[in-house]
Amino acid sequence: MGQVTFKNVSKSFGSTNIIDGMNLEVHNSEFLVLLGPSGCGKSTTLRLLAGLETVSSGTISINGRDVTELEPRERDIAMVFQNYALYPTMTVAQNLGFGLKAKQIPPKLIKEKVNEIAYLLGLTHLLNRKPNALSGGQQQRVAIGRAIVRKPKVFLFDEPLSNLDANLRLEMRAEIMKLHREIGATTIFVTHDQEEAMAMADRIVIMDNGSIEQIGTPTEIYFQPKTFMVAGFIGNPSMNFIKGKISNKMEISMPIGRIKINALLNLGEDIEVGIRPEKIKLADSKSKSTEIKVTVLVTYVELLGPRAVVKMKHESGQELTSVIEHDEIESYKVGTEINISLASQALHFFPKN
Amino acid sequence: MNAAKMHIKYKLILPLVFLLSGIMLYPLIFSAWLSLQDYRLTRINDVQFVGFENFGLIATDSSFLNAMGNTIIFVLSAVTFELVLGLSLALLVQKLVIFRGAIRSILLAPMFITPIAVGLMFRFLLNSEIGIIPFYLLKFGVSIDWFGPELALFSIVLIDVWQWTPFMLLMFLAGLEALPKTPFEAARVDGAGPWLTFISITLPMLRPVIVVAIIIRALDAFKVFEYVFAITRGGPGNSTETIMYYIYQTGFRFFRMGEAAAASILLIIFILLLVILLVNLSRPKVTK
Amino acid sequence: MIVSFENRLLQFIGIMAIFMAIIVVLFPFFWIFLESVKPPSLGGRPDIWRFELSWENWSEVLLNSSVPLNIMNSFFIAFITVVISLICGAPAAYAFSRFRGFQGARYSILAAEMMPPAILILPLFLILYKLELIDSRIGVVTAHLTFVIPVITWFLIGFFDEVPKDLEDQAMIDGYTRFQAFYKVILPVVRPGLGAAAVFGFVLSWNDLFYSLLLTGAGSRTLPVAIASFWTFRGIELGKMAVAILIAVIPVLILSYFIQKHLIKGIGGSGVKY
Repeated sequence: MGQVTFKNVSKSFGSTNIIDGMNLEVHNSEFLVLLGPSGCGKSTTLRLLAGLETVSSGTISINGRDVTELEPRERDIAMVFQNYALYPTMTVAQNLGFGLKAKQIPPKLIKEKVNEIAYLLGLTHLLNRKPNALSGGQQQRVAIGRAIVRKPKVFLFDEPLSNLDANLRLEMRAEIMKLHREIGATTIFVTHDQEEAMAMADRIVIMDNGSIEQIGTPTEIYFQPKTFMVAGFIGNPSMNFIKGKISNKMEISMPIGRIKINALLNLGEDIEVGIRPEKIKLADSKSKSTEIKVTVLVTYVELLGPRAVVKMKHESGQELTSVIEHDEIESYKVGTEINISLASQALHFFPKN
Repeated sequence: MNAAKMHIKYKLILPLVFLLSGIMLYPLIFSAWLSLQDYRLTRINDVQFVGFENFGLIATDSSFLNAMGNTIIFVLSAVTFELVLGLSLALLVQKLVIFRGAIRSILLAPMFITPIAVGLMFRFLLNSEIGIIPFYLLKFGVSIDWFGPELALFSIVLIDVWQWTPFMLLMFLAGLEALPKTPFEAARVDGAGPWLTFISITLPMLRPVIVVAIIIRALDAFKVFEYVFAITRGGPGNSTETIMYYIYQTGFRFFRMGEAAAASILLIIFILLLVILLVNLSRPKVTK
Repeated sequence: MIVSFENRLLQFIGIMAIFMAIIVVLFPFFWIFLESVKPPSLGGRPDIWRFELSWENWSEVLLNSSVPLNIMNSFFIAFITVVISLICGAPAAYAFSRFRGFQGARYSILAAEMMPPAILILPLFLILYKLELIDSRIGVVTAHLTFVIPVITWFLIGFFDEVPKDLEDQAMIDGYTRFQAFYKVILPVVRPGLGAAAVFGFVLSWNDLFYSLLLTGAGSRTLPVAIASFWTFRGIELGKMAVAILIAVIPVLILSYFIQKHLIKGIGGSGVKY
């Protein structure tokens, strides 16, 4: 229960457009992650859905019910804020029960439900504490508990893990996913951390400058980025880009060489050619028509435990980054020239706008 | 949703707007009207429109000008003393390791008590016949007539300093506490002495607080009334007549409400100009 | 740490200066207290330090004068003024803090706070006169509201500014209206601030002489006005005056002790630079 639809939703403050004509369909029980650089409009999208901001135009509906004009309390949603927003004057138990109290549920029932949730989240021994006597992780649990105790149709999370340290973040991430599997409610989760997005999402929505760049499963987003922005934003180290021109039918010329591809292109068009760092391999002796062999100078090697990042420079000035396994490191000596190969099936092409 | 939100923001301020219109805005307008009338409490049924005549009368009234002059001298000297004393005390108290809280509480005490009590206390302490201070000064051969024609205004300033230096202290202690520590540590590492540190680091960083404190205190000092009322009633002669006391006299002793209203409007214009001047002076200059 | 002789000297001078300041602050209180417990016949004698402790002044003032009535009046007026100020000021301060478009209103509050009483007393007097409210406690409350409301509102804007907005967002998502979020969640959070503002407003009203002097008569006279009338050059009223002063001053000193740390935030406000 909990299908969410954004139809042509725009939001502007004065003359600046925060959200620009957004269309989005969130499926029932889905775990959807909104991902993007800061200021891309992901938090605003969440707040529009929550009813904390009003849309400038367009409609939002939950389960087919138009909620665009409704108050937050009428939308049957729950939200977990980045700084948890626990009520400082109330105990944990009162925090958990506050939403139920609004629905005028009898105190006895509230107590039952609160105890149940507290048990589920391991908060039972903290029920009478005030929030400022809790650790960050415990506060986070209370915030989540407060959301699920009301059994809303849709859960909203606004960067809930960004205030936690690395270990706790992993732990809470697992916990949120477990809860989602158990409860099965539609969840919309905002983050700027792509690793978090990849690990948690059923589908990821990549946003930039107030509009959606791509919607897809983590696999699709990583392996089939639809736009230049998505390709550059996802992946660490980020994708290499090489400027190219369509010089011939089915052939692209670049500073580092030419390559034939199996697609029809517009002659003379400028194009960005991308390749992920881990797809750059050492060239072997066999030569294939579907790869470019390039000689580059190794300028820098950075060891990251089992893997290493290698920076290389072509004589044209083009710089490339690759990620290699530790056992290959002998072949990459700083200051030496090496031959690498870029396979055509690993290349991504983005027409220049 | 939008309409409802607009609604609540105006609903929330409605009681305040309603009340302040009744007790401040309306009286202000009334006051402006009053300043254009020949309005005497003794002849309340015979009120005549006289235009700006009251302003003319006031502006050429030597006792108004005298009161204005006294007030300006009072404000300037009181605020200067309080600023210097308050800042010095704040620096000293801040360095204290023990008893800081208790000492701060004691030193702040005068600013909370009713000014009329302060005025009477000092009238009693400084009285040339029954006051303990002149009594012991006389034992050292010093004879000072604190409320005589020469010193009366100065004594009033001293009383103001006693009561309101604590306000400066309060502001500066808070200001000092809010300053970041690293510039001071850097200065120590660089070998700057206490004086250089104060001049080149503390003072510039404290500047916004100093400006706010001066503005608040100066505006408040313009309202000085209680000490004058408690001690000198404007005298000897009219050497301690301040502008508030002048307005009080004109309106409620001589019953000339129109002229008093005109004087109060001149006062408010003067204060407004002063605030604009102070704010402009205090803006950090932009260097090109 | 090595402390040079020069530093020690400076330190010594500093401590002496603070010591002096403490004496300057405390001595008037001490002398007034002594005066209040001297036998009335020894009043106004600066040379007399040793005397029989006498509570005659105290009992005279408390049992045989108008001071108890004046205390009641002052208390009633200050209390009602603060209650009205909070009821009107708190919601408005919240609105000023949270909603866009009220920047000008913040400055208006500040301007109202700075308004000299001289300009308001004349019309207020005439208005209250016409309403036959001269010498009534409600008339003084009206006048005191003109300076207590702006101060309390200004204080509260600063306190509301410090409460994260997420709190009422959360409450609204939890099923409450904006107004419920305000009084069920935000008000309890700023309760210490509300308390400090209320105490400060109370002290301001309690301390006022100017308005009370002109708007009260025998029935509604407040304590400061009563004190002012003690100084008559005729009788030996000094001891009684000392008692009245102490009665006016001591409760305020106790109250203000508890709000000192909130005062800064209140006076400075937030979000508005000079």
